[in-house]
Amino acid sequence: MRSIILLLLFGIIASWLPAQEGTLLIKNGTVLTVTNGTLENTDVLVADGKIRRIGKSLSAPAGTLTIDATGQFVMPGIIDAHSHLALDGVNEATNPVTAEVWVGDALDPLDVGIYRALAGGVTASHAMHGSANAIGGQCETIKHRYGVYNPNELRMEGAPRTIKFALGENPMRVHGEGRNIMPRTRMGVEQVFRNAFSEAKVYMAAQEKYEQERRSNANAVPPKYDRRMETLADILRGDIIIHCHSYRADEIAMLMEVCKDFGVDRLCFQHVNEGFKVAPELADFGAGASVFADWWAYKFEVYYSTAYNAAILSKNGVVTSINSDDSELIRHLYHEAAKTQRYGGLSDDEALALITINPAKQLGIAERTGSLEVGKDADIAIFSAHPLSVYAIPQKTIVDGVIRFDIENDPDDMRLDVNPAEDVPAVYLHTEEIDNCMEGVFEQLFMGEK
Amino acid sequence: MKKSRLIGGLLLLCFLPFLSYAQDDQEIAPVTRTFVLKNATIITQPGQMIENGQILIKNGLIEAVGKSVSVPSNAKVIDVDSMYIYPGFIEGLSRTGVPRPKDEERREIKDPGNPPNDAAGIQPERSVVDLLSADDSSIESMRKLGFTAAHVVPHGNMLPGQGAIILLGGSSPEEMVLASNTSLFSQLEGARRVYPATTMAVMSKWRELYQQAKQAQQHEKNYKNNPRGMTRPSYDGTLEAFYPVLDQELPVFFTAESVKDAYRVLALQEELGFPLVLAGLKQGFYMTDELKAKGFPLLLSLDIPESKEEKKKEEGEEEDKEKAKPDPEKEALKKRQKEAIAKHQSQAATLSEAGLTFGFSTLEVKSGDVKNNLMTMIEKGISEEKVLASLTTIPAKMLGMSDMLGTLEKGKIANLVITDKPYFSKESNVRYVFVDGAPFEYEAKKPKKKGDASAKVSAAGEWSYTINIPGQAMSGTFKIKQDGDGQISGTITSPDDGSEGELQEVVLSGNNLSFSFPYDAGGQAMKVSFDVIIDGDEVEGTVTAGSFGTFDVEGERIGVPD
Repeated sequence: MRSIILLLLFGIIASWLPAQEGTLLIKNGTVLTVTNGTLENTDVLVADGKIRRIGKSLSAPAGTLTIDATGQFVMPGIIDAHSHLALDGVNEATNPVTAEVWVGDALDPLDVGIYRALAGGVTASHAMHGSANAIGGQCETIKHRYGVYNPNELRMEGAPRTIKFALGENPMRVHGEGRNIMPRTRMGVEQVFRNAFSEAKVYMAAQEKYEQERRSNANAVPPKYDRRMETLADILRGDIIIHCHSYRADEIAMLMEVCKDFGVDRLCFQHVNEGFKVAPELADFGAGASVFADWWAYKFEVYYSTAYNAAILSKNGVVTSINSDDSELIRHLYHEAAKTQRYGGLSDDEALALITINPAKQLGIAERTGSLEVGKDADIAIFSAHPLSVYAIPQKTIVDGVIRFDIENDPDDMRLDVNPAEDVPAVYLHTEEIDNCMEGVFEQLFMGEK
Repeated sequence: MKKSRLIGGLLLLCFLPFLSYAQDDQEIAPVTRTFVLKNATIITQPGQMIENGQILIKNGLIEAVGKSVSVPSNAKVIDVDSMYIYPGFIEGLSRTGVPRPKDEERREIKDPGNPPNDAAGIQPERSVVDLLSADDSSIESMRKLGFTAAHVVPHGNMLPGQGAIILLGGSSPEEMVLASNTSLFSQLEGARRVYPATTMAVMSKWRELYQQAKQAQQHEKNYKNNPRGMTRPSYDGTLEAFYPVLDQELPVFFTAESVKDAYRVLALQEELGFPLVLAGLKQGFYMTDELKAKGFPLLLSLDIPESKEEKKKEEGEEEDKEKAKPDPEKEALKKRQKEAIAKHQSQAATLSEAGLTFGFSTLEVKSGDVKNNLMTMIEKGISEEKVLASLTTIPAKMLGMSDMLGTLEKGKIANLVITDKPYFSKESNVRYVFVDGAPFEYEAKKPKKKGDASAKVSAAGEWSYTINIPGQAMSGTFKIKQDGDGQISGTITSPDDGSEGELQEVVLSGNNLSFSFPYDAGGQAMKVSFDVIIDGDEVEGTVTAGSFGTFDVEGERIGVPD
């Protein structure tokens, strides 16, 4: 009888141990650390979701899940610095400034796109607000823990706050053309930034005055709480990294000037198609650049472009990443990175850095992810061949030490939640909006006019 | 003017939504407010039963419940022999008696990024009491199901207003209201085309309003203590509506149908700390552990999906005949959909199994589906007793009304529902509902007569008929002739001038008689078709009048052929 109970107990423990928090051993792979070169026939030991050891012939306690990676390539989980995956709502397009809204409030852990991204080796992404507003909402850095139902469990705890800004045609179109308010021009976009930051400074001054007054007067009246101003003030204080949708060089230079004027130095440009024109200036400022490998001409301001953009930026010392901004492109970011070897001749590590350590730096999470180093989160992608080869096929994707994608256990239907009212789920091969950053805008602008 | 009354009556149907009510009122004139219900099985509360019991109702209250009660001389005695009496049901969250606002002309909002509060859906200062309508048809549709009280809230978006507890009876909002301003109602529902339009903006606005309300309340307190030298607080009704919430005195009923919304609301609550009732849940089965850990009162949505197969069966449809070409991909998708439907149907059972208790929200459900959905939940494994508790004692307690509602006990408000069979059986009919001691009587649905293709009946003779159009009844007669060769023909008589018209397409198949006749409705040609079953000297079936719809008809043979 006692043995049965013991057996049962053992069964229970054995069944929750691996799921508890990833512990596993990857044996005998080619380990692409990205930051410390390539290590042949090397093991990676993971315990409690962290990388504990990297070396030859490592051993693990009995019962540890072991992955034989002989002949395979082990790389840090890919990070996408620009995505709109896992979001129930991208644009609050009703105001040119919506700094107070936060996509972290509308995360969608049931989005099957997360799983598809995992199947491309992507373990973390920057879920961004759209580009309808000059100052859009705050974004959220998520880990692809596909399988959870609680939206909060997608968050990468401790990742710095980020916010979406947007230059050029999108905010001009939505607010200028759409509603006949500022910004109608590129000049107007600049003025929206300057007005917002100036208002925030007034708000901060009022708060400071209240704090002083409060010391001597218990009945002092605080300025009315305003979340928009609170957020803008946090940007001015340096607590939030700006990620700005941008294409043209003149505007990129403009935002750097605005930031200098207001003492803001945490800045990363998104898309940056004309970044190659201002690469030294970006490097001087210390701004990041997150670009497409070779995607352009989808609107007027995106015609002057080159596939050498990423390489030029990298060679000029700009922290550069390649992003997807798209639920399909996110599945093969390793192809996108490889394009920089054809266009610009980047080395393997330089190319891989574009989708690993560099986006990690841009998101302020490089201390924890983006490379295979002892102590970092166990976010790992295993490929059948070198990930920059067109023949590479992702085999396993591990997030916090938990295998979230395994090509050997990859059922057709990986949806977590099925709509009971829908016979066959709708599949959209093409969406009406070319620009993912503008998702949801037209419903808000023109609803009721169908 | 042949058949003009019939047609005139049918034309009236266009106005039915306005007319049926006034004519349908079933309230019995209050000759006495004392009633004795005799010889019934009384379920005084979930799990407690008195067989062959009696109830004395006096002036709106339950005066006595027991094996026998004294019968006052002025009592109207209702013999409910072999019937079942339950405490009246309570809607945990609904809009019964709250008419949907008419679609406003599209309002031009000058600055969509900074709209007036009412356009933004921010109206927490509004009370549902001011929006009640005692003759709204939703009250009768819920009452005839056995619901006698409801926690009702306004229509709207993010913060539609404050809820009230009403009785589903009474001729004015004042008579209906049992308690006002009992809750703050909220939803993660964006405004149309103005800020806050998205879930994320609603969440942000919620936090902002909450903090602003805290500030305003403190300011007011300080000002009351010592106004000298202090900037005076400006009046803000929207923020003031939050004060009782801040003081933990007023619960926020927050709807969260999906598991994602439920987690969002829980996160917002954890951040701000307001008293919460989580309402309208449809996917609680994904998060039973969290729901248990948090321990907030719960209201499950009574709106559950129907199984496709059951639906087909009900509609008498046959199985898909497309099976010639099997499509494994489609089959696999359908299988998952079926599982999803079952999960939703089992939500109540799953949560109950996990030890959670809950009431029901009827916000999204059609009244016609309520009984079916309750039965489905029971089929999926929750006990009848627990469902009854979810309809009575649990919402009563959640709403702070346990001393007035929820059980059949001396001193409580006389809200009860009486059925001919146990309520949770398919064939049961609600026969009486008492709200606030006032009786409403209902007819039992008669079982439909069955068609029998092999039956040998004669249709010959003169028949009277009554078409049951809601709110009125149309009567007339028709004659059927059958000759020896099986030839069948007939005429129909106008109730107005007695003139006769020939019947067309007269067919008798087994005991199923059908015929039609044309009618010219003011220039519009229309066909009226009868389809009835003959059972001895009685007929019963339907009549379809052009595009006006199909109605029940019944009649009897009033003359035999010579």
